[in-house]
Amino acid sequence: MLIQDIRYALRSFRRAPGFTAVALVTLALGIGGTTAIFSIVDGVLLRPLPYSDPGRILRINRVGANGGLDSFSAADYRDLKKDATSFAAISGYRSDIIDMTGRSEPVRIIGMQTTAAFFDVFDAAPLLGRTYHEATDTPGASIAVISEAIWRQQFGANAAVIGTQVRLNGAPTEIIGVVPEFLRHPQKSDVWMLSPFDVPTSPFGVDGNDSRDIHYFSVVARVAHDRQLTEGQQQLRSIGDQIARDHQRNAGSTFNGEPLASSMVADVRTAMLVLLGAVAFVLLIACANVAGLLIARGAARRRELAVRTALGAGRGRLVQQLLTESVVLALVGGALGMLVATWTQQLLISFAPENLPRLADVTLDWRIASFAFAATIVVGMLFGLTPALQSSRPELNADLKEGGRGGTSRTGLRNIMVVAQVALALVLLIGAGLMLTSFSRLRSVDPGFRVTDLVTVELMLPLARFDDTAQRTFYMGVLERLRANPVTANSAMLFPFPFGGGNAQASLSVVGQPAKPPEQRASADLYSVSPGYLQTAGVRLLKGRDFTDHDGPKSTPVVLISESAVKEFGGRDPIGEKIDMGDAFTVIGIVSDARRRSLDTPARAAVYLPYTQFVLPYMGAVVRTDRGAAAVASAVKTAVTQIDRDLPIGDVKTMEQIIEESTGEPRFRSFLIASFAALALLLAAVGVYGLISFTVTQRVPEIGVRLALGASPRQVFRQVIGQGLRLAIIGIIAGLAATAAATTLVRGLLFNTSATDPVVYISLSLLLLAIAALACYVPARRAMRVDPMTALRSE
Amino acid sequence: MIKLQNIEKSYRHGLSQTFVLRRVSAEIKSGDFVSIMGPSGAGKSTLLHILGMHDSAWTGEYWLYEDPIHQLSAKDRMRLQKQHIGFVFQSYHLLDNLTVYENIDLPLSYRDVKKAEREGMVADILDRFNIVGKKDLFPNQLSGGQQQLVAIARAVVAKPTLILADEPTGNLHSDQGKEIMELFRRLNEGGTTIVQVTHSKENASYSKRVINLKDGWIVDEI
Repeated sequence: MLIQDIRYALRSFRRAPGFTAVALVTLALGIGGTTAIFSIVDGVLLRPLPYSDPGRILRINRVGANGGLDSFSAADYRDLKKDATSFAAISGYRSDIIDMTGRSEPVRIIGMQTTAAFFDVFDAAPLLGRTYHEATDTPGASIAVISEAIWRQQFGANAAVIGTQVRLNGAPTEIIGVVPEFLRHPQKSDVWMLSPFDVPTSPFGVDGNDSRDIHYFSVVARVAHDRQLTEGQQQLRSIGDQIARDHQRNAGSTFNGEPLASSMVADVRTAMLVLLGAVAFVLLIACANVAGLLIARGAARRRELAVRTALGAGRGRLVQQLLTESVVLALVGGALGMLVATWTQQLLISFAPENLPRLADVTLDWRIASFAFAATIVVGMLFGLTPALQSSRPELNADLKEGGRGGTSRTGLRNIMVVAQVALALVLLIGAGLMLTSFSRLRSVDPGFRVTDLVTVELMLPLARFDDTAQRTFYMGVLERLRANPVTANSAMLFPFPFGGGNAQASLSVVGQPAKPPEQRASADLYSVSPGYLQTAGVRLLKGRDFTDHDGPKSTPVVLISESAVKEFGGRDPIGEKIDMGDAFTVIGIVSDARRRSLDTPARAAVYLPYTQFVLPYMGAVVRTDRGAAAVASAVKTAVTQIDRDLPIGDVKTMEQIIEESTGEPRFRSFLIASFAALALLLAAVGVYGLISFTVTQRVPEIGVRLALGASPRQVFRQVIGQGLRLAIIGIIAGLAATAAATTLVRGLLFNTSATDPVVYISLSLLLLAIAALACYVPARRAMRVDPMTALRSE
Repeated sequence: MIKLQNIEKSYRHGLSQTFVLRRVSAEIKSGDFVSIMGPSGAGKSTLLHILGMHDSAWTGEYWLYEDPIHQLSAKDRMRLQKQHIGFVFQSYHLLDNLTVYENIDLPLSYRDVKKAEREGMVADILDRFNIVGKKDLFPNQLSGGQQQLVAIARAVVAKPTLILADEPTGNLHSDQGKEIMELFRRLNEGGTTIVQVTHSKENASYSKRVINLKDGWIVDEI
C-alpha cells in the first residue's frame, strides 16, 4: 500500500511540474541551508574532540583576583603539578612561531613548546614514529613531533623523516614522530617541541625560573579515569586557593578547570546558536510556504479526495496518502537539500573567519546526513499534516458537484500560513538589520591610530640565537635600513600589533601612591616601541615628549602613558612621576588612547616602553606608505637579509587586513543572517504571491460577475491588493511582537546598537510591506484583466 | 434490502430552515432496479448520497439489510458501505493521475484485499467489460463513454450488492447512454440491486420502479 502511495505521489508530482519545482526549490533551500549551518554548529559546538574519553580533557585557567583569566607562571604550575592527584596527566604549553632551518629554505611554522605530558593528555596514536611522554622522555631531550601536513609539504611524506635532525629556532632537534591531521587542539600546530625544562620555555628569556610574576603559558590536563570530572575541578580550586593563601602575589586568584571542547568555543557559542535559530526560521518559513502550496493543491484536489472517499477510503487512509506525498516531496527536497548543503557549507567555510574555533572539524558526514534526514521527515510531517487533515474531510456531495471549483472558504488556513511567513521573515529581517547596523557601527569605530596606508611586518627572532643585546641590535639595524629606503622611510618598530592577539600586560602601580588590594590593582596594556612610532601610526602626543634615540638601554628608564592611565595618578600631573614595573620608569609623555584587543573593546590604560629598554623577540615593523604591502615586504626582506640571511620575515599585512580579520566573526554572522533574511524575504514574497494568485484563480467567476455588474478594473485591483496587504500587515504586527521577544537573544552580539532600534524596526517593516505589495501586483493585474464574458461562460 | 422511514434533511439559515427531503419513506428489495426522478432541486442526489452513506446529517430511519444505519457510528457505516455499495457518478470522476487499471484497483485497495487477489479481480473485470486493451491508458485518453464504462467497472469490481448511480448517462450522447443502460440491465439481471437518479424517461424505462420526488417529497411511485 505504501509503495503504491509513493508511486502515485511521484506520478502526481511529475504531472504538476510548476507546483513540484517551487516546492522542491523551497524545501531544498530550507533543508540545505539548515543542514549546512547545523554542520558548522556541529563541528564547532557539538562534535566531541577526536581523542579517547575527550570529556576528561580540561583546560586549566588561572583566574585572577579581578575575575579575568591569566596565563600560568612556572611556580604556580609546579605547585599545581605537585598536588593534583586527580589527574592522569598535566601539561604546560605555549604557542610559538618556529623557524625550521638546517634543510634547504628556512621555513616559518606555527608550533608549540610543551612539557613532556602533552601527548599523555592528547593521546593520539602517531602516523609514524612515536610521540613523547612523561614516563619515557625527560626534559632536555631535543626532540620534536611534526604534523602530517608539514611531513607531506616539507618531507615529501617520506617515512625516513623519523630520526632526521633539523634546527628549530636554531636548536638542533630530532624528529621522532608524525601525528595525524586531526590533532589540532587546543590550537593548530605543525610542530610540537619538548621543552628543555619541566615548564615551557619562556618568551622573555627567563627559562628555568621559579617566578610567580611572569605568566606566559597555558595548561591542559586529563582527569584520571578513576576520578569524576567534578572531583578534578574541585581539586583545582582547592590547589589554586591554597596557593593564593600561601603567596601574596596570588592573593585573590584561583584555578578552574573547564572541559576543553566548551572552553574553545565559549566566545562563539551564542552567535552559533543564534545562527541555528535563524536558519530554523528559514526552514519554518519554507514549511509554511510548502504547506500553503499543499493546501492550495488540496483545494484543487477536492474532487479527487471526494471520489476516493466515495470509493471507500477512510479519513485515516486519505491522511496516510497525503502525508506520504508530503514526505516523498520532503525526501526529494531533502536529497536536493544535501546538495545545497554541500555547496553552502563550502561557501560558508570560505567566508568564515580563520579564527573561528574548530572550523577544521566541520564536515558533512553521517551525523549531518542523519540530521538532514530527520529534518526532512519532520519537515514533511510538519508541512503535510495540516493540509492532510484539512483535505481529508471532503464535503462529498458539494465537492463531487463542484469538481474542485470554488474553495474560497478554505483559504483561511493559507492566510494563516502567509501571516506566519511574513511574521517569521520580519523577525529575521530585523535581526539582520540590527546585526548589519551593529557591524557598520563597529567598522566606523576610530581605533585611535590612522589605519590607511599602514603596513605591518612580523619580525620574530629565535631566542636560541638572539639574546637581549642581539635582539636590540637586530631591530635597530633593520629600522635604520628601512628609514634609509624611500619606500619605507616612515617606519617604526612595535610590539604587539593591535588586534593581532598579542597580550603583554603589566600591573600599573604609581610610585608614591598607597598600595591597592589585588582586586583593585590597575593593569595596563604594555607596548614596546621605537622612537617615531607615534608619528608613523598616527597616535597623538598630548603632553610631554616622544622617545628619542637618546633613550637607550643605559639611560633612565622612561615610559609614555595613554590618556586612560592618567587617572591612576590621583589628579597629579603624570609627567615626571614614576611607575613601578619591577624597575621604576619615569613618565615622559601622555598619548591618545588606542584600541588594542578589538574594535569593540574600549581602549584600556596603556604603557609604552622604548624598545631599547624593553626589547622582546616578537617585534615587527610598521610602515606608513602608499606603495602597498608587496613593496614593503620586499624592502623589509632586503633589510633583514643584509643583517641575517637565515632569517625569514613573518606575515606582511596591511592594518586594514588586520582589522578585517579581527572583525571576521561579526562580519561572518552579519553576512549569514542577512543571507537568511534575504531568503526569508524571498520565500515570504513567494508565499504571498502564491496565495493571492490562487485566490484570484478561485475568484475568476466572482470577479467576472463584479465586472459585469459595473465594477471598474481599478476597484478589482484595489480589492486584490488590499487582501494581500491586510495579511501582510497582520503578519508584520505579529512579527514585531515576536521580534521584541527574539532580539533579547542577540542583544549580547550587538555593538552600540539597541535591540529595539526604532529606525531598523520601522524601515524593515515598510520594506516587507512594499515587497508584499509587489508580490500582490502581478495577480492583481491579472484580476483586472478578467474578461467577464469568458469568466461567466466558464461558470 | 433497504427500508427508509421518515428521512428528512434540512439546512439552517439563521432562524429559517430549508428542507431538502421531507418524510421520505420507501422500500427497495434485493434485485430491484429503481429510478429516482424529479425536477432540479427535488432532492434526488441528496437522497442517493444518503443511501450511499456519504451524508450523515439527516434524521429518520435507514435500514440496510438488518443494519440500522441511523444508529451506527461513522466507522460502522464505512464498513457497510465498503461491503455492499458501489457508486457511479455523472461526471465519471475517474482519477486523472491513475491509469484505467489503477482506477479500477482503487476500491479493492481501500478494502484491504490482498494484491494477488486484487490482480485477479481487476483482470476479470477488465475482461468482462472488454477494456483489457485500455488498462494502461489514463482517463484523458478515453472517450466519455469509455470513461463511464471504466467508472462502472470500478463500481462493480468489489462485487457490491447495491449500485448507486447519479445520472450515469448525463454526460454521454444517446448511443453511449444506451450502452451503459444495457450494462446496468445485465448487472441487475445478474442479481445486483441498482438505484439510479435520472432525468431521462428513456433511462427510467430500464428500471422496474420509479420514485418521483418534488421539493423533497415523494410524490408518487410507479
